[in-house]
Amino acid sequence: MTTLLEVSGVSVTFDGFRAINNLSIAIGEPELRAVIGPNGAGKTTFMDIITGKTRPDEGRVIWGERSVDLLKYSESQIAKMGIGRKFQKPTVFEDQSVRDNLAMALKNKRGPWSVLMWHATAQDQARIQELAEEVGLLARLDDRAGILSHGQKQWLEIGMLLAQDPRLLLVDEPAAGMTPSEREHTTDLLKRAAKTRAVMVIEHDMEFIRRLDCRVTCLHEGSVLAEGSIDHVTRNQQVIDVYLGR
Amino acid sequence: MAMDIPRRSTARTGTRRSFLHENPSVLWFMGLLGLFTVVVTVLSEGVGLGVMPTNLIKILGMTLCLCLIAIAMDVVWGYCGILSLGHFAFFGLGGYAIGMWLMYARTEINIRDNLERGTIPPTEAEVSEAVAAQIFGVVGSSELPLIWTFAGSLPFQLAMVVLVPGLLALVFGWLAFRSRVTGVYLSILTQAMTLALSLYLFQNDTGLRGNNGLSGLQNIPGALDVPQSIISIWFFWASAFMLGVGYLFFAWIVSGKFGSVIRAIRDNEARVRFLGYNVEGYKLFVFTITAIVSGIAGALYYPQAGIINPAEIAPIASIYLAVWVAIGGRGRLYGAVIGAGFVSLLSSWLTGGGAPNIDLGVFRIVWTEWWLVLLGLGFVLVTLFFPKGIGGLFDYLVRKQP
Repeated sequence: MTTLLEVSGVSVTFDGFRAINNLSIAIGEPELRAVIGPNGAGKTTFMDIITGKTRPDEGRVIWGERSVDLLKYSESQIAKMGIGRKFQKPTVFEDQSVRDNLAMALKNKRGPWSVLMWHATAQDQARIQELAEEVGLLARLDDRAGILSHGQKQWLEIGMLLAQDPRLLLVDEPAAGMTPSEREHTTDLLKRAAKTRAVMVIEHDMEFIRRLDCRVTCLHEGSVLAEGSIDHVTRNQQVIDVYLGR
Repeated sequence: MAMDIPRRSTARTGTRRSFLHENPSVLWFMGLLGLFTVVVTVLSEGVGLGVMPTNLIKILGMTLCLCLIAIAMDVVWGYCGILSLGHFAFFGLGGYAIGMWLMYARTEINIRDNLERGTIPPTEAEVSEAVAAQIFGVVGSSELPLIWTFAGSLPFQLAMVVLVPGLLALVFGWLAFRSRVTGVYLSILTQAMTLALSLYLFQNDTGLRGNNGLSGLQNIPGALDVPQSIISIWFFWASAFMLGVGYLFFAWIVSGKFGSVIRAIRDNEARVRFLGYNVEGYKLFVFTITAIVSGIAGALYYPQAGIINPAEIAPIASIYLAVWVAIGGRGRLYGAVIGAGFVSLLSSWLTGGGAPNIDLGVFRIVWTEWWLVLLGLGFVLVTLFFPKGIGGLFDYLVRKQP
């Protein structure tokens, strides 16, 4: 396992509020990592920084073998380098079919001209089928994404994430609004993805995290409070005080 | 969402069907446009039965040009979500570009005719001077401005029809999109652009004859002895042809994955960025290509109108454009055509004195004055109760699940 992403000494302040405070985290490839922490701990802001949405005041974000400084790149460039993101609230394009949503996410050239001339190859079509099957939406391929249930939208977004074929998946609360069996399916999917890539999951549901069976990082007030196995972290007194005990 | 979104057989499985097969509305549109052209031609004064006066042919031809800019507006606003309130600036620039050639070439022919009646043949410099004096006498100048250097060349001015609106849109769009100006702020910026351009052109020393604008554009050099009844039908055909080509072009663009991406940008541009698409590049592409089509529409419109002046590109014109598209139905090309056609023809009828005024006893509704009230009311009602516009009615006709 080699280090894929290294965040070091990152701080960011919003109107005087220090959302991230000298945060350092590294994730390897392949690895499955769960990030927990109370509300306002900076979990989502942390993802915003990695994906280029928020610029930190200080610190470094280093990516890949060639040690690229991610802070110099735009959201779309970072996404093209291989960082995919799933949002807390499922954000799929509701006006378009499941198939179109997946086709847009497929790993292909992203320039206006290439997209204008794009035609799905047999390979693309097979990939769409395969992804739809993986996220259980094969029968819904031609339905508008807007009419899917909440859980199905979550899955569609996970499918889009996989379609991008990223090296690092950032997944924000994937299990929210899912039924127990859907949750189980989601854990399987994430664990399978983490066999070949880096996957970072933000979750509140401790049961879900226990099932992921991976290294856990607990954030609090914008920095790392504890890191290690689930048992190690849940036994940490500070973690119990600020998060689990409440 | 039955037939409003054109699509290509891109991500579909199974047999690949043709573009037209997947978009019956495009085929319908082409058929109706062809039929309309034939009917108007047969009834026309110039080449047909003489039922339709030349004036009406011109109004219909101009309406087709307005439909063309309306579909461009629909692509940039209805599909890509950029509410541009400046596309009439591009329309006007296209008109000015072709107007320069029309005016210069016609004046040159007249001058040569006059000078050649003399004993000594005129030199090129003399002709050029006389043309300049004739065109710019009205603004108290007799020198040919620099931008008129190649005004005598039709290919050059035709290139300008495309290049000037295209470059302006490219530079303006690049500056605006790069700074991530969106929503109402972008709309205000585009209004400012068209206002600035209009005020600039109002000045006499701009080289485009200030508030006089360019006139006599209905006289086509090389066809000066062809009656207007024939010329009007030529331009009507050209307008119908360009509308057809423009419709096909935009229907092709908004179908398939490109259309998918720009609609996604309209609905959630941040999300599209995280998918790895350069949103600004797409917006710039759409903004520029629609500006170019607007310029072409303007270049066909003004020879039929006969005159262009800076008032044509006043901000209100671009706002009307947005109103047409909203009334016709955003996000569907035929909706834009219906909106532009319906509203502008209604406007011609009501403001042209064709509609009977209504006497309410205590109050008299004079349509030339009350037309704007009616339009405003219509816009509010459509926005509140029929957000899909007139085009949305077709969804009731073609009820099928996507």
